[in-house]
Amino acid sequence: MHEASLMSKLLSRVDAVARAEGAPRVTALSVWLGALSHFSAEHFVEHFGRASRDTIAEGAQLRVTVSADPAHPNAQDVLIESVEVEA
Amino acid sequence: MARKTIKVDYLARVEGEGAFKVVVRSGAVESAELNIFEPPRFFEGFLRGRAFTEAPDITARICGICPVAYQMSAVHAMENALGVAVTGSLRDLRRLIYCGEWIESHTLHIYMLHAPDFLGYAGAVDMAHDHGDIVRRGLALKKAGNELLALLGGREIHPINVRVGGFYRTPRRREMAPLAERLKWARDAAIDTARWVAGFDFPERERDYTFVALRHPHEYPFNEGHIVSNHGLDVTAAEYDEHFEESQVERSTALHSRLKGGGSYLVGPLARYSLNFERLSPLTKEVAREAGLGPACTNPYRSIVVRAIEVLYACEEALRIIERYEEPDAPAVPIEPQAAIGFAATEAPRGLLYHRYRLEPEGTIAEARIVPPTSQNQASIEEDLASFVGGFLDLPDDALRHRCEQTVRNYDPCISCSTHFLRLEIDRG
Repeated sequence: MHEASLMSKLLSRVDAVARAEGAPRVTALSVWLGALSHFSAEHFVEHFGRASRDTIAEGAQLRVTVSADPAHPNAQDVLIESVEVEA
Repeated sequence: MARKTIKVDYLARVEGEGAFKVVVRSGAVESAELNIFEPPRFFEGFLRGRAFTEAPDITARICGICPVAYQMSAVHAMENALGVAVTGSLRDLRRLIYCGEWIESHTLHIYMLHAPDFLGYAGAVDMAHDHGDIVRRGLALKKAGNELLALLGGREIHPINVRVGGFYRTPRRREMAPLAERLKWARDAAIDTARWVAGFDFPERERDYTFVALRHPHEYPFNEGHIVSNHGLDVTAAEYDEHFEESQVERSTALHSRLKGGGSYLVGPLARYSLNFERLSPLTKEVAREAGLGPACTNPYRSIVVRAIEVLYACEEALRIIERYEEPDAPAVPIEPQAAIGFAATEAPRGLLYHRYRLEPEGTIAEARIVPPTSQNQASIEEDLASFVGGFLDLPDDALRHRCEQTVRNYDPCISCSTHFLRLEIDRG
């Protein structure tokens, strides 16, 4: 269930980024998943699909990079690398 | 359609699953609210429509640290519904697996979550830089508990060998021998743990709690006994709903429990210890006294000492059970389903865990109700914060936040595994 808390945090950040740009919709999102983040790409996509329903990011295309390096300083984290919005 | 890519590089972290808001007026605490953000988990819904035999495996998934507590409350409630009593070696083995859980769960909380608060570290990893041997002792002690779970439960986390009526497989006597050797070491390590934590600097804060725990006529409670309080309550699990109620508060996703017509109450090690001191073993009582504890403890910061005492008790009790263990004739008693309602309360490491099930004639679960200890303690946590934070208001916000986190962690609540879990908002007027 920690995934739900994390998704909620992530989506509120994506929402803030899009609104700061005055964008009506998020079209794509690039994320990086740490090796110890307890997320696989499929797992992340599934949770994102559910959590983003009725938000500005619903239907956004996901570009997911999965790190295999457990010694990476952010190995336990999920990083939003970039957000693509309708200009 | 024009598109624009914005580089973000933002770490999406769960920074907190709790927030604490304090309103201070004229130097005094006017209100204190703890908000829990953990989403609802719907386990009671998952159970509906499933076979009664599936409850121990489904409820075990509620917690990775105390799965045995959920399994034990589930199997006892089912057996209560279906009129079956599990006795002899099978009963002992249930007590033994619970010993394993108390050892691993309490040790995790003492060493990894709570001790760093007292010693000024952000977490156990930082503490290990300066106290490597102590952290290693904690890990080895936890492992002793985990090994009991692995032998009796089939694996350490979310065990799969517990069933309504007993177990799927019971261990041979010779499989117990290596565990006894490790538990003898663990018993000594638990004594060292109690002495170590007794030396911490405890804020002198006491509260007149209503303690609620199981009490058994002869034993320190795990699976059986009446639900009693220090204010005269003495009821069976079947009467739980007549005396306790849960309510939803808008600010939190966790339900709050209260005594009907009474108010908040406290479950867990302090309550269990204070209501059952006489049932502890002679060695455990002696070490408790040496660690500065009387027959009751009302300082929540000393709960870390009480946990260490309960680890010692669990090691001794496990050794006692292993020594006299006789292999049962069958791993479980046969059970026939029927339409019925069953209740049980057992002592999870964090306190009383109540289950109630209504079964259809063929054994399908029609209704399930689970009241975990953290939700029962929620109101008491808030009252501790409201009552103690006033004495710490002179501290800067960071130090005050640390003190509040420590106060919440006294309860070993299910949110305490996030080291920096608390978003503190102080409205000083």
